Amino acid sequence: MYAYDTYDHAIVNARVEEFRDQVERRMKGELTEEEFRPLRLMNGLYLQLHAYMLRVAIPYGTLSSNQMRRLAHIARRYDKGYAHFTTRQNVQYNWPKLSETPDILQELADVEMHAIQTSGNCIRNTTTDQFAGAAADEVLDPRPYAELIRQWSTFHPEFSFLPRKFKIAITGADEDRAAVKWHDIGLVVKQSDTGEIGFEVLAGGGMGRTPVIGKVIRDFLPVSDLLSYLEAMLRVYNEQGRRDNKYKARIKILVDAMGADEYARQVEAEWAKIKDQPLDVPEEEVARIKAFFTPPPLPVLDNDVPTVNAFADKNFLFKAWVSNNTGAHKVPGHVHVTISLKPHGGIPGDATDAQMDLVADLADKYSLSEVRVSHEQNLILPHVAKKDLPALWEALDAAGLGSANAGLLTDIIACPGLDYCSLANARSIPLAQKLTERFDDVKRLMDIGPLKIKISGCINSCGHHHAGHIGILGVDRKGEENYQLLLGGSGAEDASKAAILGPGFDEGGIIDAIEKVVAVYLGEREDGEEFLPAYRRLGADVFKEAVYGAR
Amino acid sequence: MALVNLTGIQPTQYTELASDTSPAEGEVVLVPFDRLAEESEAFFQTVGRVGVLVGTETTFSALEPFANKISFVAIDFPAFGDGRGFSLAVRLRKDYGFKGEIRAVGNIIPDQAQFLMRAGFDSVEATEERKTAFETALKRFPSYYQTDAIGLGQRSVAHVRHSAKNDDNTDAADTAKEGQRKAS
Repeated sequence: MYAYDTYDHAIVNARVEEFRDQVERRMKGELTEEEFRPLRLMNGLYLQLHAYMLRVAIPYGTLSSNQMRRLAHIARRYDKGYAHFTTRQNVQYNWPKLSETPDILQELADVEMHAIQTSGNCIRNTTTDQFAGAAADEVLDPRPYAELIRQWSTFHPEFSFLPRKFKIAITGADEDRAAVKWHDIGLVVKQSDTGEIGFEVLAGGGMGRTPVIGKVIRDFLPVSDLLSYLEAMLRVYNEQGRRDNKYKARIKILVDAMGADEYARQVEAEWAKIKDQPLDVPEEEVARIKAFFTPPPLPVLDNDVPTVNAFADKNFLFKAWVSNNTGAHKVPGHVHVTISLKPHGGIPGDATDAQMDLVADLADKYSLSEVRVSHEQNLILPHVAKKDLPALWEALDAAGLGSANAGLLTDIIACPGLDYCSLANARSIPLAQKLTERFDDVKRLMDIGPLKIKISGCINSCGHHHAGHIGILGVDRKGEENYQLLLGGSGAEDASKAAILGPGFDEGGIIDAIEKVVAVYLGEREDGEEFLPAYRRLGADVFKEAVYGAR
Repeated sequence: MALVNLTGIQPTQYTELASDTSPAEGEVVLVPFDRLAEESEAFFQTVGRVGVLVGTETTFSALEPFANKISFVAIDFPAFGDGRGFSLAVRLRKDYGFKGEIRAVGNIIPDQAQFLMRAGFDSVEATEERKTAFETALKRFPSYYQTDAIGLGQRSVAHVRHSAKNDDNTDAADTAKEGQRKAS
């Protein structure tokens, strides 16, 4: 993991002092709420329906066990004993007091964390593959480059007041688990024929009310040019992105309006002017950062562990958990483990302080003190020896963290919705809870197979409904909460936009409709065919007929 | 109104030219961009020093014909969140090598002081009450994660970390000062 040096510490501590000063000025009335708003937002502090909400950055979803313990402590000391992990690999506290937020930021700074640029019209936390550095299918570890971007984007003097928020995602594996095509900028780490490391660069992806899949604007960008190229991309956007309408201010609208080719041309032209300036870091700095991410010293172990098999044979839930929640690691005899924060009937992404402490302890014991957060709102122990799985699962299960549903229908992404958010039209959390209760049978879930449901409580699509195999969008219909059903989206390397199937439903109706969609799939699927390929093969009509009846 | 000096330059004393008035011989005037564009030859022949007042919506390339003739620029922020003004200043320095004073006017808040300085601004017009807050904010961060491309000599901590004579971390604060000095 990256560790701060004195420079990083000094900058983050200065930020805490700055924010303490801003809060004091606000409380004394020297700053108006209008003036304070962008300042607090750039420190992750939102004013929601009932209270302030503080969003803390978890850079590229990577946490140490000590950092996780600090998050637990903050939940206990400053909040109501829980926290919420988000689709941007961040964590949110829903009930902090304004006067205490500077203290929270200091507690974070002490463990090399911050809330810098977790909101506001600036470059947000760069996200990546939750299995980075662990997954067997990884080509190159994206984390060193995510850290480079974190530093470059922190307090950028020119790009801190962009037309709108700006999100960068990076992946280095064949399977895209970071949804890079749905980001303002997507980067795919690649190695050239000559062994040089670089990136495929995508621009203009995004969700919101106008979903757009990003377009490739450069096939290969050498890593030594990454920051100067990003600088050119951001400058063109900062100058020309729309500022008259916040719903048309994201880079996707600019790229769409001028065309990806023209955007690429302007970026290349600007980059040509600045690429020889010392905007990019020296090679030694890339090497310094990379050294924090060298593969951990794991022993090569046997992949077949008889004691684990024996335990699985007598415990179906453990067997299901191993099958669904663990994945192939680079080092034989190891796996990465997904700790589901989606217990049936629970709130997606929430964890209590005790659960966070437990995960930290288990990370120390079984995963080299490392924890990850996924954009699917789960926690990950990236480096676990297979032989330790029974003990790990028993400890998790005893704390309500043993759900065997990773990647299945009940592993639902949901935004906070109308329970917390002032933008929402409908509640997301109760719907997720009822859906998981309806499908509360692991055997059935495994028969259905991989199926991603994503719920947004409004058109801003924080719950990624556009990218759901099944997407649900909460709308307001004459004062009533109403849910639209979308099918066929994907956030992976085969990214696609989900399409609305037909008229919306109330809460009970949408759950029944999903039952019908699943029934069509189970009836129509070919051998081993998963939901999304089946939907793509069958088309929408057969689902429409099942849900709405023949017209 | 007070003036916050970001870089230690000698601030320009100018008269904002009212519409329908002509500048006196030798007068230092600030002229709105539209008027300068229309009457440019007349201005540069008769007047002393000419500055241009531009809005953040101005395309940098529109300033190209004047970059060698004007001696200062005031960029007017309609809202402090309108970050185009930062890119405009960067472009003036970087693309046209503009060396004169760049002043931020309009809606700016103290917390933007260091960003302004680092993007190439020399001064900010502010209310008297806010002057101290601006000056405090200007000294806020001891070092930066970005190197500038506009000749300020600000080196990113990534560069400072690996420069031979700076292999300890004691000079983080010097980086900031160096940037301010070079800008002046």
